[in-house]
Amino acid sequence: MNDFVWMSPPFGQGEPVQVEAKPEVLVPLMVAGYSQCEPPASREEVTEDVHG
Amino acid sequence: MSTARLQEVLICFGKQKQTDIATANSGMQMWRFGKLNAALANPKLNTENDAEEFGKGHEFPTQSFQTSWDVTGTLEKYLGAEIAAWAMAFGLGKVVKSGAAPNFTYTCTPLMPANGDAAELPYFSFVEQIRPGAGVVLDRMAVGCVIESWTITLGSGPGRTNSRIAIEFAGSGKFTEPSGVVVPAATLEKLLPSASLALSIDGVDYVSNKNIVSLETGWKNNVRMDAGFYPGSGFQTAGDATSGAIRGRLEFGNRQGTLRFTARFESGSMELTKLKNQTTGTAVLSLTYDANNSLEITWHKVSFATAEVGETDGIVTVAVECLPMFDATNGIVSAVAKCGVDSICQ
Repeated sequence: MNDFVWMSPPFGQGEPVQVEAKPEVLVPLMVAGYSQCEPPASREEVTEDVHG
Repeated sequence: MSTARLQEVLICFGKQKQTDIATANSGMQMWRFGKLNAALANPKLNTENDAEEFGKGHEFPTQSFQTSWDVTGTLEKYLGAEIAAWAMAFGLGKVVKSGAAPNFTYTCTPLMPANGDAAELPYFSFVEQIRPGAGVVLDRMAVGCVIESWTITLGSGPGRTNSRIAIEFAGSGKFTEPSGVVVPAATLEKLLPSASLALSIDGVDYVSNKNIVSLETGWKNNVRMDAGFYPGSGFQTAGDATSGAIRGRLEFGNRQGTLRFTARFESGSMELTKLKNQTTGTAVLSLTYDANNSLEITWHKVSFATAEVGETDGIVTVAVECLPMFDATNGIVSAVAKCGVDSICQ
């Protein structure tokens, strides 16, 4: 099974990307300033309970 | 009183990085190793005196002052998967962890401030103890240490000594005595022996042609030690201006990679031609214990800076010094270290 990691763009600009954890993928990103980060929080919308 | 012998010395240090330069690792974040060298990481107090000052009526000192603290140390070890992963992660500074037990993979590259990375290296605490507790001989912890350099040497021969790593580190100057740390159980190490080497430099497989004799590769951060002292960098004892200044940051300077090797030189060997033509290529070396424990270092673009024909034990050899260069895509160097230990430099 392939392993994936989340990487955030340099200077905190832009959305994190999920990439395969292979050196040929990671190294160019790391050199370009991407850093490993936690998976982004779910963007699922939470609707307040309007009944009550 | 019984004599303390250096075989008793216990060392442990941060497997995980400190949260900042001044916050020591907890014992839970540390791991313990043996080492080969006897040198201790002694805190050094720098002092000044008033001999040069006018107004005393003579040239002699009348007062001395604690001005600053240094801590440096060296760790020499047989090369194992765990210490290799630690040295690559802390020494190069940028790490991506992937995988799961028993195969954690640490992909490491140098920090690139131009692309938003920090210029400060990850910090760790370093503990030395001899009989801690009631009969203590030595028990101290250097806080805020970074790796100044690592050097891996591989040689020909049957023993463990043919695969070694030397790690130099430097500290902020802050230390805690007693350390307050309970040294954990020794780490079980997976040796990466010289006999496991795979090596390809500029298109030549030096293992399959049986020509490699020895190799040395390393990284030096040239840490800006004096730049660690700045207005407000702090004191050994917080709030006590007489206790000596400590560093508030440790940034790398102009970093250098090294790769040199000696190989048998025979008809068709291309080292001198490559030197003359300044051919460039990659250099990849890997050492393996098993599928879960290994180290692979890639210098992404090297040329030969020098190549001198000589002899080793009566055999004609060529000693080559490579020039590691920066590749626009992959940078200068990357290391992929695999081991069964989680959270290294996390």
